Amino acid sequence: MNAHAPGSLDSCSEGWVRDEVARLLARVTRPGRYTGGEFNLRLKPAARPRIVLSYPDVYEIGISNPGLQILYAHLNDATPAAAERAYCPWPDMAALMRAHEVPLWTLETMAPVAGCDLWGFTLPHELTYTNVLEMLDLAGVPLHAAERGEEHPIVLGGGPAVADPWPLAPFFEAFFIGEVEHRLDAIVEALAAPSRASRLRALAAVPGMWLPGVSERPAQRQVFTAFSSTPPVLRPVVPVLEAVHDRAIVEVMRGCTAGCRFCQAGMWYRPVRERPVDLVVEAAEKLLGETGCDEVSLLSLSSCDYSGIEEALARIRVLRPGVRVSLPSLRIDSAAESLGRFAADQRGSITLAPEAGTQELRDAINKGVDEAQFEEAVRATFGGGFTGLKLYFMIGLPGETDGDVAGIARMAATAARLAKEVARGRARVSVAVSSYVPKAHTPFQLEPFAGAAVLRQRQQLLREAMPRNVRVSFHDVAASLVEATLARGGPGSDRLVEEAWRRGARFDGWSEHFRFPLWEEAAVATGITLGTADLLGDETLPWESAVTAGVTRSFLSEERARGMRGERTDDCRGGRCTSCGVCGGGVEMDVLP
Amino acid sequence: MTWWLLTFSRGGPASYLSHLDTARAVQRTFARAGVPIALSHGMRPKPRLSLPLPLPVGAAGCEELAVVEVPDGLPGPAAALRELRAAAPPGLRPLAIIVVGDQHPRPQALEARYACLLEGDAGAVQAAVERYATEVSVVRERVSPKGRRTLDLKEYVVHAAAEPVPGGTRLSFAIRHRDDGAARPQEFIDLIATWAEVEPVMRGLERMRVTWRDLPPGPSPGAERSVST
Repeated sequence: MNAHAPGSLDSCSEGWVRDEVARLLARVTRPGRYTGGEFNLRLKPAARPRIVLSYPDVYEIGISNPGLQILYAHLNDATPAAAERAYCPWPDMAALMRAHEVPLWTLETMAPVAGCDLWGFTLPHELTYTNVLEMLDLAGVPLHAAERGEEHPIVLGGGPAVADPWPLAPFFEAFFIGEVEHRLDAIVEALAAPSRASRLRALAAVPGMWLPGVSERPAQRQVFTAFSSTPPVLRPVVPVLEAVHDRAIVEVMRGCTAGCRFCQAGMWYRPVRERPVDLVVEAAEKLLGETGCDEVSLLSLSSCDYSGIEEALARIRVLRPGVRVSLPSLRIDSAAESLGRFAADQRGSITLAPEAGTQELRDAINKGVDEAQFEEAVRATFGGGFTGLKLYFMIGLPGETDGDVAGIARMAATAARLAKEVARGRARVSVAVSSYVPKAHTPFQLEPFAGAAVLRQRQQLLREAMPRNVRVSFHDVAASLVEATLARGGPGSDRLVEEAWRRGARFDGWSEHFRFPLWEEAAVATGITLGTADLLGDETLPWESAVTAGVTRSFLSEERARGMRGERTDDCRGGRCTSCGVCGGGVEMDVLP
Repeated sequence: MTWWLLTFSRGGPASYLSHLDTARAVQRTFARAGVPIALSHGMRPKPRLSLPLPLPVGAAGCEELAVVEVPDGLPGPAAALRELRAAAPPGLRPLAIIVVGDQHPRPQALEARYACLLEGDAGAVQAAVERYATEVSVVRERVSPKGRRTLDLKEYVVHAAAEPVPGGTRLSFAIRHRDDGAARPQEFIDLIATWAEVEPVMRGLERMRVTWRDLPPGPSPGAERSVST
């Protein structure tokens, strides 16, 4: 009970935060970003090693990342280590921290990040790279690994963007390549070594680890082969501050072998592994209680491809009254037949991704969807009760013509017509158009970036051709230009990141913070041309010197050739192996019978 | 349906939540505890839960109030309170549940007492507080998205006092809530800081006590209540 004496300053002010931090919190927007206090937060103040996990974006984005939740739960609950968290301070807080010389702290203990043994970053995409430098600087940790000493943490990178770690290589002691769940114990053990040098040697011996300037061969991407038999995170940290995602997450499947030739995730997370329906439903039930959410998200790269989707949907819906189920990633060809059932009792909007506007181009990128399937999926969407449909397309794909771009407007018009017919005008259609950025370890890894002029011309074409009753939004071409430069950056591309950061680039993924002139200045200063890649033709590609992804160069080359010929490649789940190179040596597809 | 008045304290990290985030945290605590909240009717049902007196971001609250409608037939409030305490996030502690009928008037704040720590010259802060006591009228303009409004702080802020403490000056005061609204704690703190020529940055803002109209007697000690009949 409340036992404070009237007129005293004690009681519910617990003195839990240092004075210098409290002074800053009083002067920033949304101070709750920096104070933790979430449901299911773990506190192990005396435990060692102390590991800090970071997502280089603002709290509301970072707390919604399921990957960090996996690491946090495993490290705290299944190892002797203490895992704490820090996210990138918003510019108002960063300015105050610098002005008052208060170093970055963690949400769990409010203690400085710099005192930890290991600082792990999940690297989601290229436009967060300057935030990594911002966080290192705010923590008082030297930017370059070469400048760090015994008193500094080892900085370790992981996540999808390490498919090409070169643009961040000098800032990290090590990168973990691939899925880390089964290697966390080994990483914790490595940190028990007595000196920084011996800890680094021990880390280098962990499979999947690549140490810039130290490792003599590329790291083999790690695959968590026990995914199917391992429950998902059952006690996630639940934010009290409003985050971008507010739902319980059950990862039902990892990997996708649909073979879309532009898709890095589809190549990176192979092979497909599915969790049994019983495990999924049990996890959903437990998570509804632990999170207090009334929505369960069945997460995967393509949730309608999950073999147990219909049974899981049916069983989760009856767990408790009013529970909603969301499928965050839907492929149209697989979605059409499921949407009818899925859509029952649903409201709100749904996103479908045809990706390209014509059949020819969809065949070239191996996006298995035809016009009939598209219409069927749209009808099922509106027929099932959804009142919003967002269509996602890319422009700048290899081989794309103005005719392909005009096709996007035609598909949008078809969707708008069906909204009128099926939903009787109660539904709305919107179109989001991003710029295609060629990525490492994909069949299109050697394709040139379309370039700013072409992309802007096609955006204009689309604006003019789009039906009036369809809202269209575009991704910033300048941001894509930066992304394209870093996505295939080689040794030395780190200079561009550092120069841009030193000039003030931060939160480049946020339109209100992205300042392209800073990147242009950095490009001039470093002699790097924006929008190009460090490609060496048939020789070893820069990222291949650091990472062996599993999919072979010959498979990627063959897929590229098939794409140029407009030939489709079937999903290997159908039984026909495409010889991508991933399976073997204990790594196999693991799907439900 | 039954109305519950839940008293709770907000401190530590929860002090830095906004009003809406605090309401969300209370709602989430009920959900985690397995104590259902009644839903409103209509296309998009919302939990019937409200916090009648918003607490400023950064402020602790020793005895806050949430008004919650729950379905009939729930286990008693004592059992629910145990579950709520177990389910609450750090810094948010359910204190007591008072069960009221659905016809009972909703409690309205009459007066709230605050205290905070102001850095800077303690003598200057004390002088500013003394000046406030002697002023007949202290009119301030409030600019908000709703427009501009002038208010006389003297009509709302009473019992102001300053006391030197290690690290600064402890400023305490009470704000009266009237039919036409109330002053905000920060408005008075800014006034004193301006007059004292100290940084208006304060720490440890705390709402120590709220006097309510129509708060029925309940199991929570330490609260002043004024029950109209």
